[in-house]
Amino acid sequence: MVEVEVHEHDIFPNVFLVKTRGQEKLATRNMVPGTSVYGEELVQHNDIEYRIWDPYRSKLAAAIKKGLHELPIKQGERILYLGAASGTTVSHVSDIAGNTGEVYAVEFSQRSMRDLIEKVCRNRSNVRPILADARVPAEYRLLVRIVDSVYSDVAQPNQANLFSDNADVYLKEKGRAIIVIKSRSIDVTQRPTDIFKKEIKILENCGFHVSEVIRLEPFDKDHAMITLGR
Amino acid sequence: MKSTLVITTVGIFALNSKGSIIERKFFSKDPKKAADRYRQLRKGEIVPELSQLLKELQKNNYDELLIEDRILASKISKIKDFNCKEFNESSVIQKFREKLDVTTVKLGRFSDRQDFQDFTSKVTLAIAEEAITSETQKKDLHAIQAIRTLDDLDKTLNLFSGRVREWYGLHFPELEKLVDKHETYARLVSDLGDRENYKIDKLESEGIPEQKVKLISEKAENSIGYSANSSDLETLQSLSKNTIQLFKLRNATEEFLEELMKKIAPNLTAILGPLMSARIISIAGSLERLAMMPSSTLQVLGAEKALFRSLKTGSRPPKHGIIFQHQALHTAPKWQRGKIARVLASKLSIAARIDSFGGEFIGDQLVEYIEKRILEIQKKYPSAPKVKKRYGRSRGSRT
Ligand SMILES: C[S@@+](CC[C@H](N)C(=O)[O-])C[C@H]1O[C@@H](n2cnc3c(N)ncnc32)[C@H](O)[C@@H]1O
Repeated sequence: MVEVEVHEHDIFPNVFLVKTRGQEKLATRNMVPGTSVYGEELVQHNDIEYRIWDPYRSKLAAAIKKGLHELPIKQGERILYLGAASGTTVSHVSDIAGNTGEVYAVEFSQRSMRDLIEKVCRNRSNVRPILADARVPAEYRLLVRIVDSVYSDVAQPNQANLFSDNADVYLKEKGRAIIVIKSRSIDVTQRPTDIFKKEIKILENCGFHVSEVIRLEPFDKDHAMITLGR
Repeated sequence: MKSTLVITTVGIFALNSKGSIIERKFFSKDPKKAADRYRQLRKGEIVPELSQLLKELQKNNYDELLIEDRILASKISKIKDFNCKEFNESSVIQKFREKLDVTTVKLGRFSDRQDFQDFTSKVTLAIAEEAITSETQKKDLHAIQAIRTLDDLDKTLNLFSGRVREWYGLHFPELEKLVDKHETYARLVSDLGDRENYKIDKLESEGIPEQKVKLISEKAENSIGYSANSSDLETLQSLSKNTIQLFKLRNATEEFLEELMKKIAPNLTAILGPLMSARIISIAGSLERLAMMPSSTLQVLGAEKALFRSLKTGSRPPKHGIIFQHQALHTAPKWQRGKIARVLASKLSIAARIDSFGGEFIGDQLVEYIEKRILEIQKKYPSAPKVKKRYGRSRGSRT
């Protein structure tokens, strides 16, 4: 038997640090024991199963590794997740939110949505798949309730506006949010910091306060993550 | 009295101005069936639960209704005794939705909050499942039929509009020059008929712009055309009416196609627009076949005639096919076109592949890239190159 040690993360409840063979890895508690969503490693400890959360695969894990101070995703809360893709990060968000939480997973690619449904939604009733264009938040107004937080990772040039339009409709008054922004644009002449500044400016003009900006290197060279609120 | 209708995934509710429920109809407890209702309502169908609810409201004298959906609002208004408006100010609705779990538990529909959550979660899943199966089934073939229909309609409309103008020109030749739009012309003929009816007020109610109204009515009074009696005009008016119907069909077809293309080929549509994207799929035969083509083939797609001619006679091969209709290409000076066409074709080929294999949306990025490359081309080749030997011609003699 390999020695396994598990601690809960210092500041984020429901996020765990799993130590095996001298290596410390991020993990979440598997809501569906026995199933791995995207090939991630499963680790048992005291009759509880954990799913290793790879910062190279998930930008949220990368941000936590890089010292994120605030995680707006909490147990029992409702989260609007824009750009769910096939559910790599969504599955961990689902673990953190737990059975009493709700994750509204918006994605408009059919292929990704199919994977999301098959791999994530079928056995996780707290993830609700929504096939829709996040640029038109009204499209899913019958399916989404007011949420405690928004997580946005759509990888689109207009992402700041897209996020803000969604927050206007669905984010509760003191709600918090996380946005993934591209640090490398197609326009290579622009420096990353200029791109962040531009995005942050747009968000501030929409009435948000940015509280942190986390670069994701070395896990991800293209993106940064910012947390914000009204 | 006034009532607000709220559609939810569990059923339909009618609220009074204070936000309390006056009537309600739940959908089935089978999530698949509830999901069907949701889909039908979103398409603007008056489902049985809604029509039952409306009957109850009618009995209780609620005749002014508000609903969050434009199509449903207009459908309900068509029912006798109801005046229904679209409603966007949603604070009442939003409050109601937020309490829906508590409310429906109180009504005894669900045993507790968890029961409500489980049910609505299953409905949402069923809606998404339904959406991916119905959307991926060979929708490109529908797009192909729709774009061909559009082209047929345009031809027919040109033919009919020309006929209407020529025929009506016997009676009122001056109108030909005064009204450019075929649809407007046909409408005037159909609604007004005899030129004696071209009075100011009637023209105004036809929506003719102010400056033109006077001119048209003056010309009608002094027209040099033959006079006509009503039986002379009857068939012509009927032709005009049918032509207008065809115009409506044309517009509906275009709208349908635009919606469809955004769904089945969002990336292609971002670059080419919905109509041209449909046309290029139509020429390729299917989205999948388009996706399999090398970008050099895609570049000359639709220029087969010129391609064969060039193979046969040795004339210069075409640089671009249907993509020539792209704004960036046909406005570009000749010497830049080949280069731009190559950029466009290579990105279109990427777009078609992503669309065909159901990948993510990167249309905005592709467009951005294309625009950037075009700027570079414009900078690098600002003027026509020095005269080159037109090798194509001379080689032509060999065959
Ligand atoms: C970078 S991926 C998200 C990855 C995911 N958050 C994860 O960490 O597992 C971006 C996703 O957003 C989706 N997307 C882009 N634009 C969108 C839009 N307007 N509406 C919905 N989804 C969109 C893309 O299809 C793609 O799957």
